[in-house]
Amino acid sequence: MSAVQKTSESGLTPAAAPPNDSPLVKAAQGGDMRAFEELVARHRDKIYARAFSMMRNEQDAIDLSQEAWVKAWQRLAQFQGDSSFATWLTRIVINLCLDQLRKHKRHRAESIEEMDEESGGVERQMPVVTINPTAGLERGELRQRIDRALGQLSASHRTVIVLHEFEEMEYKEIAKTMGCSIGTVMSRLFYARRRMASLLADLKKAES
Amino acid sequence: MNTELQLKLQSYVDGELSASESRQIADLLARDAEAAALVQQLQNTKSAFANGELEVKLPESREFYWSKISREIERENRQPVAAAEPSLSLWQSLQRLLIPAGAFAALTLIGLVGLFALRTTNQDSFSVHYESDNAVADADAFTYNDEENGTTFIWFSYPSENEFTESDDSLIL
Repeated sequence: MSAVQKTSESGLTPAAAPPNDSPLVKAAQGGDMRAFEELVARHRDKIYARAFSMMRNEQDAIDLSQEAWVKAWQRLAQFQGDSSFATWLTRIVINLCLDQLRKHKRHRAESIEEMDEESGGVERQMPVVTINPTAGLERGELRQRIDRALGQLSASHRTVIVLHEFEEMEYKEIAKTMGCSIGTVMSRLFYARRRMASLLADLKKAES
Repeated sequence: MNTELQLKLQSYVDGELSASESRQIADLLARDAEAAALVQQLQNTKSAFANGELEVKLPESREFYWSKISREIERENRQPVAAAEPSLSLWQSLQRLLIPAGAFAALTLIGLVGLFALRTTNQDSFSVHYESDNAVADADAFTYNDEENGTTFIWFSYPSENEFTESDDSLIL
């Protein structure tokens, strides 16, 4: 509540401030389903978007985001407010997506290309291009290109990028979340970035 | 450039190195053009991500999306016991296995004891007849005991010393 008042006093629009979820969370922790429904309404797009960025499939993203909300309701008592409610919920949906991706991986045989990608493949040896392939792009266009390039990465590399660049997790936290070593995280991140640079350069070439 | 250095340069870009390691890399970049070019590329990619993600909207109405969540919550609330079942402890799992096995073992034991008791009874009844058959202690005599009428018949295969009649070879006691 005080955060909203301060932004109003500073002359900024109240819409720029993140919504204060605390009263709704407390009410929901007391069993108020209407308060929980309001929380769903506030954050449903963000939670769905995170699931979609990891799964790249609309139906999977809808199902997993809904499952995350159900789990959140069941575990509301565990939420102590150490992070924001949105961050806490995002962690739940990320874990559900990772579980789902692991199941997918178990069910399909890995291709040679995927194994090559896992180890870094030819991308590790490719020459460095210092020209910025995204320079001068309007923000909306840049986001679209990044999204298209992300769609061409394997799930494990895309996940590392999402967790590091968008969720702003450190290597150690990513390793814990993904259940792998820090070295693997660093290796995957390095490969994913170089691949992204290559894909963005290709998109720039195609445009010109 | 080896992999170790590549990953160290990336850690430098991400601010994951200690202060002393960062200074070492800064010194390296001043004299190694290849390393500097790689750092530049990693920074370009990183700054592209800093522009944020493509905005994605949930392709379902608020009501429809919520209705599925609330239905699932209500279903879970109705079946708390069923939901708890999959998380059985090791002891509970063992109990599930041991109870029917124990019951089977007990039934088998009862069956064996019963069979043994039956055989013993048969042997006892045989020994009664046997005793009955040998009550006279004469290998050439055969005895029939009718408990209902309180009568015992003994047949001798040879003539008795005090015969009542010559034709009758049985003695009524």
